[in-house]
Amino acid sequence: MTPAIPSAPPALATVLRLEGVRKSFKTGPPWHRRRLDVLRGASLHVDAGELVGLVGENGSGKTVLMQIIVGLLARDAGTVERPARLGYCPQVPLLWDKLTVDEHFRLFAEAYDLDEGAAAHARTQLLEELSFAKYLDYRVEDLSGGTRQKLNLALALLHEPELLLLDEPYAGFDWETYLRFWQMAEDRRQQGMAILVISHLLAERERLTRVYELRDGRCEVV
Amino acid sequence: MTRTAAFAREQLRAPFTLALLVAVPVVFVTVSAGVLADFAVALGGSLAADAASTLSAGWAAAFIAGTLGFFQAASSRGADRRLALAGAGSTRVALSRVSASLALAVVAAGAGFAALVLRTDVAHPWHAAAAVLAFAVIYVAVGIVIGSLIASPLEGSLAVAFVFLLDVFSGPGMAEQAAPYSVSRKPADILIAAGLGQGSPGEEWLKLAAVVAAALAVSLAAFAWTARSRA
Repeated sequence: MTPAIPSAPPALATVLRLEGVRKSFKTGPPWHRRRLDVLRGASLHVDAGELVGLVGENGSGKTVLMQIIVGLLARDAGTVERPARLGYCPQVPLLWDKLTVDEHFRLFAEAYDLDEGAAAHARTQLLEELSFAKYLDYRVEDLSGGTRQKLNLALALLHEPELLLLDEPYAGFDWETYLRFWQMAEDRRQQGMAILVISHLLAERERLTRVYELRDGRCEVV
Repeated sequence: MTRTAAFAREQLRAPFTLALLVAVPVVFVTVSAGVLADFAVALGGSLAADAASTLSAGWAAAFIAGTLGFFQAASSRGADRRLALAGAGSTRVALSRVSASLALAVVAAGAGFAALVLRTDVAHPWHAAAAVLAFAVIYVAVGIVIGSLIASPLEGSLAVAFVFLLDVFSGPGMAEQAAPYSVSRKPADILIAAGLGQGSPGEEWLKLAAVVAAALAVSLAAFAWTARSRA
């Protein structure tokens, strides 16, 4: 009788895969054009249930890489495989100053194609998790920087994306909210969400599955 | 809540903007219309005093609508693009943004036309009202195109002012022969005719409708193109 072979743990599905991504910018006036090679073949992957960090010095191209993944910027070369259902929390909150927190939730719920019940449930949960329910009827222009950042993050999470892209998401958070942010990220990672966190300095390496450093336009595991 | 309603609400919550939308056309028509005829003669144009008054309403509505159209598109471009990428789609967001901005055109044109009626007797008031509205809609479209392509407030507002000045000084009444690139040529022809007590034939209205439709189509395309996904 053939001995039973212990089954291997199920392979995690790769949710985000970048291969050889290149991006250059042309700077300066036409008679003195210079080419700035920001990404020179960046590759990385994030599997379901992973919380992956991306670090790098100022100007190393982390935000450019993020914007390429999201679709805000076109890449010059390379491939990007990503799911359609992704959440994006930009470094600078991209919000409408004259609209309220509630109106933001409604606009994004419509964009994510959430039905009314699911949208209301997700909104209530996020308002509680990030402790800003009392600001629901406030306009963005009347919110503090930290509360704007909470809304910025909440909008990225509203539809429980398969892939969550966070570009320095905790800038402006107080200590308590900072800790709560990491707890939220960990809870979602455990539920199978793939998360890529970008920062110029990651102090919480023990929370991360893997850390890439973007240096000279390439990603290296550190 | 539709996107268009939300974007329109965004504009209504800026009281200073609304005040400017009303004040600029009213002040321009009331104060400067008298000088325009002299100015036109100096440039080799043939603008009569009555036509100058009516044309000033169109220009005033155009200037404020174009400037605010630019700021609407430029100041919200980051959030609009985020919403488009989130699933709303660049074309649908563009439709909502342009539709909401048309409210600016209606208010600016209404203020300009009201000031005109108070200042002078217009033989064909409905013709004048439609032409002033066309001025404002064309310039909202100009502002949205520039706001889609240029993010910087300084450079963008200078671009709007440049288009406006080029248009005004090469348009009907001011130049001996209107330049073909004058974007407001058609509404200006109809407005001048209304100021001189003449109606405009149906053919002129068809041409005006074509120019307005083209301006809106270009603004929609520019906004949607710049907000598209590059993935």
